[in-house]
Amino acid sequence: MLAAANGIALLIPWLLKLAVESLEKPAASAHAPGYYGLAIIAAAAAHGVVRIFSRTTLLHAGRRIEYRIRQDLYARLISLDLPYFSGERTGDILSRFSNDLTNVRMLVGFGILNVVNTIIVYASALSLMGRIDPVLTMCAVIPYPLMILLVKKVSRRIFHHSKRAQEELAALTSHAEETFAATAVVKAYRQEESRLASFNELSGRYLASSMRMTSLRGIVIPFMASVAGLGMLIVLFVGGGRVINGAMTLGDFVAFNSYLAMLIWPTVVLGWILNLVQRGAASMGRLNAVLDAKATVVDSASPIVPEDLCGEIEIRGLSFGYHGEPLLKNISLRIKAGMRLGIVGPVGCGKTTLVRLLARLYPVADGMIFLDGTDINHLPLKLLRNAIGFVPQESFLFSRTIGENIAYGREGATDEEVREAARMSRLDGDVCGFPSGYDTTVGERGVTLSGGQKQRTAIARALLKDPAVLIMDDPLSAVDARTEEEILGGLAQYYGRRTVLLVSHRLSALRGCDLIVILDEGRIAEQGTHDELLALNGRYAAIHREQNLRDEIERL
Amino acid sequence: MHFGGIYEDEIVGKAYDRKLLRRFLGYLAPYRRLAVASLLLLPLIAAAKLAQPWLIKIAIDGHIVSGKMEGLPLLAFWYFSLILADGFLTYLEIYLLQLMGQKVMFDMRTGLFAHIQRLSASFFDRTPTGSLVTRVTSDVEALGEMFTAGIISIVGDILVLVGIVSIMLWMNLKLSLVTFTVLPVLIYFVFAFRNRMRTSFREVRARLSNMNSFLAESIGGMAVIQLFNRQETEQREFTRLNASYRDANLPVITWDAALFAAVEALSSIAVGLIIWYGGGEIISGTLTFGALVAFIQYMEKFFSPIRDLSAKYSIMQGAMAALERIFGLMDTEAAPGKIPLNPPFSKGEAPNANHTVLPPLTKGGRGGFSPIETIAFRDVWFAYNSADYVLKNFNLTIRKGEKIALVGETGGGKTTVTRLLSRFYEVDQGSITMDGRDIREMPLQSLRRRIGVILQEPFLFSGTIAYNISLGDVAARSRMEQAAAMVGADRFIMNLPQRFDEEVRERGVNFSVGERQLISFARAVAFDPEILVLDEATSSVDSASERLIQDGLKGLLTGRTSLVVAHRLSTIRDADRIVVIHKGEKAEEGSHEELMAVQGLYYRLYQLQFKD
Repeated sequence: MLAAANGIALLIPWLLKLAVESLEKPAASAHAPGYYGLAIIAAAAAHGVVRIFSRTTLLHAGRRIEYRIRQDLYARLISLDLPYFSGERTGDILSRFSNDLTNVRMLVGFGILNVVNTIIVYASALSLMGRIDPVLTMCAVIPYPLMILLVKKVSRRIFHHSKRAQEELAALTSHAEETFAATAVVKAYRQEESRLASFNELSGRYLASSMRMTSLRGIVIPFMASVAGLGMLIVLFVGGGRVINGAMTLGDFVAFNSYLAMLIWPTVVLGWILNLVQRGAASMGRLNAVLDAKATVVDSASPIVPEDLCGEIEIRGLSFGYHGEPLLKNISLRIKAGMRLGIVGPVGCGKTTLVRLLARLYPVADGMIFLDGTDINHLPLKLLRNAIGFVPQESFLFSRTIGENIAYGREGATDEEVREAARMSRLDGDVCGFPSGYDTTVGERGVTLSGGQKQRTAIARALLKDPAVLIMDDPLSAVDARTEEEILGGLAQYYGRRTVLLVSHRLSALRGCDLIVILDEGRIAEQGTHDELLALNGRYAAIHREQNLRDEIERL
Repeated sequence: MHFGGIYEDEIVGKAYDRKLLRRFLGYLAPYRRLAVASLLLLPLIAAAKLAQPWLIKIAIDGHIVSGKMEGLPLLAFWYFSLILADGFLTYLEIYLLQLMGQKVMFDMRTGLFAHIQRLSASFFDRTPTGSLVTRVTSDVEALGEMFTAGIISIVGDILVLVGIVSIMLWMNLKLSLVTFTVLPVLIYFVFAFRNRMRTSFREVRARLSNMNSFLAESIGGMAVIQLFNRQETEQREFTRLNASYRDANLPVITWDAALFAAVEALSSIAVGLIIWYGGGEIISGTLTFGALVAFIQYMEKFFSPIRDLSAKYSIMQGAMAALERIFGLMDTEAAPGKIPLNPPFSKGEAPNANHTVLPPLTKGGRGGFSPIETIAFRDVWFAYNSADYVLKNFNLTIRKGEKIALVGETGGGKTTVTRLLSRFYEVDQGSITMDGRDIREMPLQSLRRRIGVILQEPFLFSGTIAYNISLGDVAARSRMEQAAAMVGADRFIMNLPQRFDEEVRERGVNFSVGERQLISFARAVAFDPEILVLDEATSSVDSASERLIQDGLKGLLTGRTSLVVAHRLSTIRDADRIVVIHKGEKAEEGSHEELMAVQGLYYRLYQLQFKD
């Protein structure tokens, strides 16, 4: 298609040459000049049609490739684990998805279009020029090696600066993302000005690196134009002489000039492509960083697929740390199927980490955690997570309707099931009070709901999943103790044969637990039933006394 | 599945180009000098470009055809100089334009960022972060492309065009007129494509914003997506958004290609016309041969800026669509009644880059402010969604140093009362006054300076712990360690390798929720506010930490006016007055003993919640 377009485009100067010759010696020419004029018009029209198709095809392809890369990026992202995300910034990833991808698309779309165009134009124009006058052609291309030299020099620097600029842009994006997400804090602490100041600083840095890019880029295009102009000059000088001493016809000279003129535009464009290539390469590097990122939590090579999971958990000598330093130290624990385990302990003692590991949100070494006797690392991830209903400490909700958020628990859940889950988590009363009931949209991360409503939605979502193991990480911190007890008490029937792990700071919430574990600095300090622990008269008993005492005082 | 609601960024309505451009020119105004300099360069560049074919004409007519070799080297020298001048001037031009462009983008980004920060809390409730980020980055970048493509060079292009047209007319009137018959066709194309392109571009930008919002949410909720094995559902939805973005782009390409091809074809047709008509003239001797060749060359030069313009055309249309969105956001000021009529940073509080350092706070007079004696809510009505009133005819008077506890059921309106006090939202009816002065008349910044808010859900910024407690404020920084100790946060901070300089990752992911809670308490303490608003989180911290916080708060609350959404009986018992809010109305008010004696709503709540 491109070849056709360029073929026709090259036909035009040839016709021009014939036309000029016919003007010089009207007698010797086969056709009148008018004939050539019409032929040129016809060729031009055909050229236009072909060009539309070739350009559209290639640029559409660019968009399709962009689409594919974006699909791959998202697919990769969604397979990555929390260790990856805790090291990345949201805005940075957003920036890769839009700004870097744009650079790459420009490269594949315009870049390829113009490279192919340039090659075809160069090849055909040069060969036609060669046919007219080989010596003159050689002379005309003398300046071009100069161009290649410069291109090489500038390329690497453009690449470097482009990468910098993309990084600055990502930092800018991250900062903006964080500030907008933190509106409540920013407003309450009047940080508008200071956030603006730091945004300005980042914006200024981006400006500076963009300008460094520009001053490099700015050289390339005029330089390319000059190189092409230099070629013209040589042709004028040498070719003019050849026409004068009769080595060349005037018609040939004019046609030669036309061909050379055809090289100017692609040469300038070449400079532009050079830019695109360097920028595209720098950006592709940033995309590859995502595409090549490896999840550490992956399915085992030889997965074990049990028939049914009943929820017996065993932890053997588990040690774990996020950054080397162990946060959990040598934890061993056996939780029988159907058992209810309570976990308490001071802030930062590893409660959340422990339950996260059960769902393999972070990687765990082999031989430490077993579900129904199988190492969880050998269970297919999907199966493991299907078996676990998880209520995270921070109830992340999607900006969809309340109904959709609860239904997130299980694909294909019916409205009735959604309502039932809401009833169990005592959310139904609140929802009925909303003007659009279950169709109320909850805003980003659920901002339009109160803390307690969010938590109860997250509980309903997990209940709906109907899991073998239910993990609730401080699920009702935003409601008062009494309500918490009431909701949890109401769940007793739902628990049935499920294994339940409940993290809480209030001992009153753990009243129904078969086993209570007290974590301290990553170790199990005490474990036993409520009565055993009281009898032990250790930490648990101390917390119990304190919480009781407070109640007593308050009741006075 | 197709998720409704928040991912659907609306397409900003049509705006008049002239209005858009005039407003845009306002942003160029500070860079007048750069603009003038680059404009002045244009005729020079145009001259350098135009003189080149002229030299060729002289060379052919004066030397090559007539066979005179002498003089040719001189011509070649001039030609060479022109090429160099052309290149140098073009470089200068590109640089100046980019400098101006980058500066304008900088200003726009800053303006947009500052404006977004001034928008009300309810705006943020319904606008996804991803969409705002898109405005500040991608939309502004699209505008930048306009500069990269050289919006000013359009002026230059037009200048060149005018020059070429005049020369051609002067050289040969008839031949020129014949050649220019292609122009009406060209103009038709340009106008026919404009509206279609713009419509497509509006789609493109809106869909990009939707996709980014979705993506941002996916990243934030990745743990939930994976825990519920919903990768496929999310991938499907992403595919829908991604495909919809791709498809919005395709027509733009088609229009763009059609325009480009039309220009190419018309340029060749024009040459054909020259040969067809000019050929006859040469034969009849009214045209010299050199003139014809120069004519053809001028024709090519004539089309080169047009080709340029057509290549820029879609970028221009894209930039205009981006401008519509940027200005659209800047114009989001007042959804009637809901958004504070913010005096956009009142006098003396200008949002200058070196942000103001707070005056040292002391408990008596606060840096020039006299302490507030009375806060009064008078007949306050408020609804988040029109007519669904959360607060109804709410009245409350708080005197200096009083501690007020708000109790009642979830969703009763307790938190709303605190939000209205800080003017996160605006009252629908009635008023809130401080010492008789309506808070709507107070500069927002000085109002919020008096109030310290502790939110139920802590938010940490990426940075260090020190930054998160002091937020860069010098006075707060000086109280940082004391504040951390006061709420018991020092216990875990001192165990960190870097202590207060320990890195905090985005949203504090590397700290437990309880630790984040403690840091956010320390933040409130460090800011030493006159009025404290506390939305009590009930747990998230262990008993020992809770005791520390309680003690710390007790110290913090002493002598301060405070408004607490209370869940703990201890907080309630300590209060000077308890206000029971029931279904948006104040049901009861009084001390614990008084309310217990009445045996009303509070009595029942107390029985239900706090008594075993």
